[in-house]
Amino acid sequence: MSVEAAPAFRPRRSGLTRFVSAYGQEIVIACAILILFAVVSLINPRFLGANNLNTIISGNAYIAVAAIGMSMIIITGNIDVSVGALIGVLATISGTLAVAGYPVWVAWGAPILAGAAINAVVGALVAYGKIPSIVVTLGMLSILRGGLVSITGGAWISNLPPDFLLAQQRLLGVPAPVWFMVICTVIAFLWMRYSAFGRSLYAIGGNSEAARAAGIPIERRIVEVFAIHGAIAGVATILFATQLQIIQSTVPPNLELTIITASVIGGVSILGGTGTVIGSTLAAILFSAIGAGLIFVNVSAYWLRAVIGLLILITVLIDMLRRNRETRQASR
Amino acid sequence: MTIKKLLRHETILAVLVVLALIVLAAQSPRFFTVDNLLNQGRLMTEVGLIAIVMTFVIVTGGIDLSVGSILGMSAIMLGVFWKNFGLPLELAIFLALMVGTLAGLFNGLIITRFKVPPLIATLGTLALYRGIAEGVSQARSVRGYPDWFYVLGQGQVLGVPTQLWLLGIVAVVAAVILGMTTWGRMTYATGSNETAARFSGLRVDRVKLLIYSASGFAAALAAVIFVSRVSTTRSDMGTGVELDAITAVVLGGTSIFGGRGTIIGTLLGLILIQALKNGLSLAGVKSDGTIVLIGAVLILTILISNLFHRDGTR
Amino acid sequence: MLKKTLVALSVLSLSTGMVQAQGTWTGGDDLPTTPLACDGTAATPAAKEYDGGVPTNPPDRAGQEITVVDVPKLIGIGYFDATSKGIAEAAAEMGNMNATTDGPTEANIDDQITLIDNYITSGVDGILFAANDPVAIAPVLKKALEAGINVVGYDANSEPDARQWFVNQAEFNGIAKAMIDSLAAEVGEDASFAIVTSTFTTPNQARWIAEMEAYATECYPNLQWLETVEAQEDNILSFNQANTLINKYGDDLKGILGMTSVATPAAADAVTQAGQCGNIAVIGLATPNAMKPYVDADCVKSVVLWNPVDLGYAAAYVMRATADGELQPGDTEVEAGKLGTLSVINGSEILLGAPFIFTKENINDFDF
Repeated sequence: MSVEAAPAFRPRRSGLTRFVSAYGQEIVIACAILILFAVVSLINPRFLGANNLNTIISGNAYIAVAAIGMSMIIITGNIDVSVGALIGVLATISGTLAVAGYPVWVAWGAPILAGAAINAVVGALVAYGKIPSIVVTLGMLSILRGGLVSITGGAWISNLPPDFLLAQQRLLGVPAPVWFMVICTVIAFLWMRYSAFGRSLYAIGGNSEAARAAGIPIERRIVEVFAIHGAIAGVATILFATQLQIIQSTVPPNLELTIITASVIGGVSILGGTGTVIGSTLAAILFSAIGAGLIFVNVSAYWLRAVIGLLILITVLIDMLRRNRETRQASR
Repeated sequence: MTIKKLLRHETILAVLVVLALIVLAAQSPRFFTVDNLLNQGRLMTEVGLIAIVMTFVIVTGGIDLSVGSILGMSAIMLGVFWKNFGLPLELAIFLALMVGTLAGLFNGLIITRFKVPPLIATLGTLALYRGIAEGVSQARSVRGYPDWFYVLGQGQVLGVPTQLWLLGIVAVVAAVILGMTTWGRMTYATGSNETAARFSGLRVDRVKLLIYSASGFAAALAAVIFVSRVSTTRSDMGTGVELDAITAVVLGGTSIFGGRGTIIGTLLGLILIQALKNGLSLAGVKSDGTIVLIGAVLILTILISNLFHRDGTR
Repeated sequence: MLKKTLVALSVLSLSTGMVQAQGTWTGGDDLPTTPLACDGTAATPAAKEYDGGVPTNPPDRAGQEITVVDVPKLIGIGYFDATSKGIAEAAAEMGNMNATTDGPTEANIDDQITLIDNYITSGVDGILFAANDPVAIAPVLKKALEAGINVVGYDANSEPDARQWFVNQAEFNGIAKAMIDSLAAEVGEDASFAIVTSTFTTPNQARWIAEMEAYATECYPNLQWLETVEAQEDNILSFNQANTLINKYGDDLKGILGMTSVATPAAADAVTQAGQCGNIAVIGLATPNAMKPYVDADCVKSVVLWNPVDLGYAAAYVMRATADGELQPGDTEVEAGKLGTLSVINGSEILLGAPFIFTKENINDFDF
């Protein structure tokens, strides 16, 4: 591909420059969100209502959470196109257990464990079977999607017990999905930034030969990171499945693309080796802010998707201009 | 990279295709008939056209996720040019093909000029092009084309579905270009080691621009055929076709990391998927079961192929 | 380049009009509408010649065991799960029909066409379908008729000459009247409301919206439509979109119309979680099982739908009568098992009945 992998951490420069250059994409997206809020709220002040902020921030929380795991996968130079179907399968598992009368912690724990187990198999196929991750996950996408319909026959799950509906809870007035999103993002960020395990992910994605030479067990690490990604998808599933009082046995169309887009727009390099999960969480919030914002300013519903596409593209281009300029400065 | 190694995966795949055909033919007497096979060719033409050019894209180490959206946008434009602008249908077809090509060129420009990785660039245009299709069409579909237009998608020439001839021509041309010409060698060189290719004086950006434009053109051609086959336009046409095309290409042994792959492999991949879809359905397997099997076949084929040459060319 | 994209954006926005066109409801189609009379006087349907298709040289299937495949828009949603149950029930009752349901896992026109094509090759006697697109599906259905296969549609029609009969769950204008009447009764005749639909390209939904607009213009001129939002077949997106509408319009929003069995329960949940039960009415098309929690909690008063199990059941009986030659072009009614006699309308459609309105009193009598 056409961009050279940038090193994860650049040489020391002055504090601010270093901060801007290390978190450039996160800053671009945060600015985009602020500009969007400013413009939309000038046109329609109701946009800043507390309820609307809750809707925007919690609406895509499950996407933000799933994008955390996806970012880890992409940072190691892999990809997972089956995560949408996985979430659909895990939601059905969770809902079935809840309706069958198991304690809620079983219904919440099961998707996390099942997600880890399923994706550990995917990781093993990638690491030990030497199959590119896009191939394995394209295959898994078919298997999970078909399998879900085969097993459920298309019946929806209703009559969920009220205490199962975690995503509807609030703590200190803030919806549970927001807590999950923030806590998961912060933990994942710190863990990837400071733990040996987390830093090894960047090493694998940046230069796998060097990582191997440094003694990182690459194969085992890949299986582990896929399993962690599966577990995080399980957490996303809980938010997804407990938001309403019904669980659909189909998966929202193109969910995997939305999650991948959040990760890569958030600054995770598709070539591996760079990026943070803060960017992907901000990107998920940006998407739901764009979706709601365009409704608030009365963009014709027919043109909504075109404008969303254009805004995404503009964000990408601004970031690329910034990076290109930086590369030029660095090489001078 | 020797010819022998290239043949490896394709040979395994060919054996697999033959096996699948035999097994499926044994399951249902209606499978291995001339009529059915030709009809299946008709059904796989659109994905086939896109997958053939996608092979080039992936060989350069890129990817094009926007093809389904280009298909939808070109289909809508075809209808709009003909019905709303009152242009002759021939001209409308030409313009629709141009729209697709330009959309592909735009992808290429973002990728080469702004150095945006292809996956991100085409994820963005995937949303943009589909959005344009929805906005322009205002959810209206255009129907009632003249009869001659349906020959393309529903008719036959010399007993073979019209579009299958087109697919055949495109496949042969693509195979020759990728396998035997300088352009083909430049494509491989770009994918194996872009920096080296640049230093040896290859105009890498021009190769890429051309390939992404061709990808847009193929999607637009698929759109025209699709409109003719189903006799209407809808803005959601081609949704998800990118994953079908990519599946066929990687099943055909093209490395997702670039530098390796053949048109013949992609064609075998296409045939295997279409044969499984059709044959399993005739054998009484439902569509949900069929897609589970296709997923498993994809993983297993690449796994088996890897076992034969475990030299880390991942 | 950045400047160029910004210029492009502004040109785009100006040329298309960022502000929605006044007067017409977004999401309706442009086919002619036939609103019912406001007081509910049944219109006398104009007698129409049979306009369905005819299979080419079908074998004599009268009383024979026949193999029928049912191809809904997609599998994996509660609604088509219910119709397939109805078909299976009727097939079991008749004893001489072998029916299976097989559909695409996404509402995709190409997958549906390919599937039907495969079943033509496999030599079924009859095809039941619910079309994702009335025109796109026509060529493959005509091919089925040419192969001597009996073709009957339900739920979503095709071009009339591409199938023999279509079992119509309820006429578009009937649904439209039921929806708008329920809305006006709950929120008053001068309230403002918004619509949540699946996609603007879904033919049935577009038809309903157009018919609702025609009926509302005629009978409740002061009802104020605010906007229509798309939410795919995605319940979380439907929930988010409904929330955004609630936040945007505040107290001005008095009602939400849900156009699909996915959107309606999600909209009801949004109203419930926003604590707006009683302030914002949710009326919509939905299956009773999905709506029971909201109806029981008094948050939703009326759910409009036909019985999809009955719809599948009727479709199977019409298929049997067609195969037996008992239902011929020109007939005015057909026997449909426990449903009794159903009448033929519009040339080649069989009407299941008037739309049914589920309320707190009756919703627990249904399980689908």
